[in-house]
Amino acid sequence: MSKSPWFGFCGTAAIAGLVLVSLAGAAVPVAAPPVPPVPVAPSAPTQAEIDKRLQAAQKQLEQAANEVARLSTQLSDTMLSEVMPLVGPHVIIGVQLEKAADHTGARVREVSPGGPAAEAGIRVDDVIVAVNGTELKGENPPHQLSSILHGVKPDTPLSVRVLRQGKPLDFKVTARGGPGLFGPGHDMDFNVALPELPEMFVNRPLRDMELATLTPRLGSYFGSDKGVLVVRAPADGTLRLEDGDVILAIDGREPKSGSHATRILSSYQSGERVTLRIIRQHKALDLETTIPERSARHETRYLSPEAGTRATQVVFGNDEA
Amino acid sequence: MHPDLDPQRSGLARLLRELPESAAAPYGYREFEQRALARAHQEHGHAGGRRLAVAAVLFLAALAVLLRLNGTPHTAPHGLGAAEVRGAPGLDPEDAPAPSAGTAERWLASLPSEPAMVRVGTRAAVMGLEDRIAQVDDLLTATGDAGSAPERLRALQQERSRLVGTLVQVRYAQTLANASP
Repeated sequence: MSKSPWFGFCGTAAIAGLVLVSLAGAAVPVAAPPVPPVPVAPSAPTQAEIDKRLQAAQKQLEQAANEVARLSTQLSDTMLSEVMPLVGPHVIIGVQLEKAADHTGARVREVSPGGPAAEAGIRVDDVIVAVNGTELKGENPPHQLSSILHGVKPDTPLSVRVLRQGKPLDFKVTARGGPGLFGPGHDMDFNVALPELPEMFVNRPLRDMELATLTPRLGSYFGSDKGVLVVRAPADGTLRLEDGDVILAIDGREPKSGSHATRILSSYQSGERVTLRIIRQHKALDLETTIPERSARHETRYLSPEAGTRATQVVFGNDEA
Repeated sequence: MHPDLDPQRSGLARLLRELPESAAAPYGYREFEQRALARAHQEHGHAGGRRLAVAAVLFLAALAVLLRLNGTPHTAPHGLGAAEVRGAPGLDPEDAPAPSAGTAERWLASLPSEPAMVRVGTRAAVMGLEDRIAQVDDLLTATGDAGSAPERLRALQQERSRLVGTLVQVRYAQTLANASP
């Protein structure tokens, strides 16, 4: 009896010791593994290197985004080629319409982002009551408007009158070339169905060209109060443009903005001749130039509205992706 | 011997006799394990509670952001101006675009229609998508009023949503790519 506490204490101490040893097992050098050689830390990149890498990554991001846009657009080809023959060629204004509740016109249900109507300022819930002076008062105003669009040529400004919360407002909507209206010469009877982003804009040579819309103040430095400034010309001399040129007209069409100039240029086919009216070093010049070739394997799709069939034309060029 | 001590001694003896034979021994290792386990469970419970609380706060924050995005016009990145775009009443519930579509179009509308500097390749890519969306919208008008099959209208509407989603992705990526470090 008198030894019991002592043994208890010893037993507890022994167990505690075992626990401590087991807990510290990792630290016991039973069989120490070989120490791997310490890697030599690479020297930290300089600020300039990081900046260079960042710029490269941003460029990749932008190019990937452009590719996503191109592929996503192509993805809708199949569906649209099935629907297109039902509608026929017409210009695009970029609105979804339905009959207005009180039969006053065509109510705007959706406005396409970046479309002609959106650019003009038309909004959802506006009621289109007249186009080019023709009132939409028939049984089916959306159909009436569609009929009007069938006779309109691309780039034609349409006078559109809407009612917005009961008040009349007038807009100029510039119709864009739509299915059946893109193609050489922009012939109304041409059967190209689905306009596609030209390859020369996806890859070289025009991809990296940068344009800025001239403001009167900025234009005073370049000798013009209108036009589009070429901030960065194509590197290989394509279109014969140089940094600092101001594009006044493309075959007589005056670009109102960088986007507009891009749109005008994208309406040309590879190999087409084009005359650029420019200002270079305060002097007006006419540049005779050629729209560059596209990459090999570029495909232009055609559709016959009557039959709904499509053929493929492969345009070979000398551009590298 | 002092006589007064007797009663105290007897009382003390009685108390001593009432004591247990031995004091409670320190608990053994097995009990130590049990107590440690119980303590760990208790702490785990507290930690779980803390995690639950954090998750709840995060969920509420996400919900608040979602409600804000869906309920009000918002400002796009880089301080671009906000624009109000209303929904699209009049659509059948099945054909109505998802709530996120409204948010996406609000954001798109908040972007400047004409950037100060246009990179031709980038602008052309965006224009291609925008034209395609406009094409689909015009087709929806044209086929809708011609009594087209509802499945076709629904498919076109879904295609529109997909294209708008792509446009948002592309423009957001371009915004990031053009952002100055």
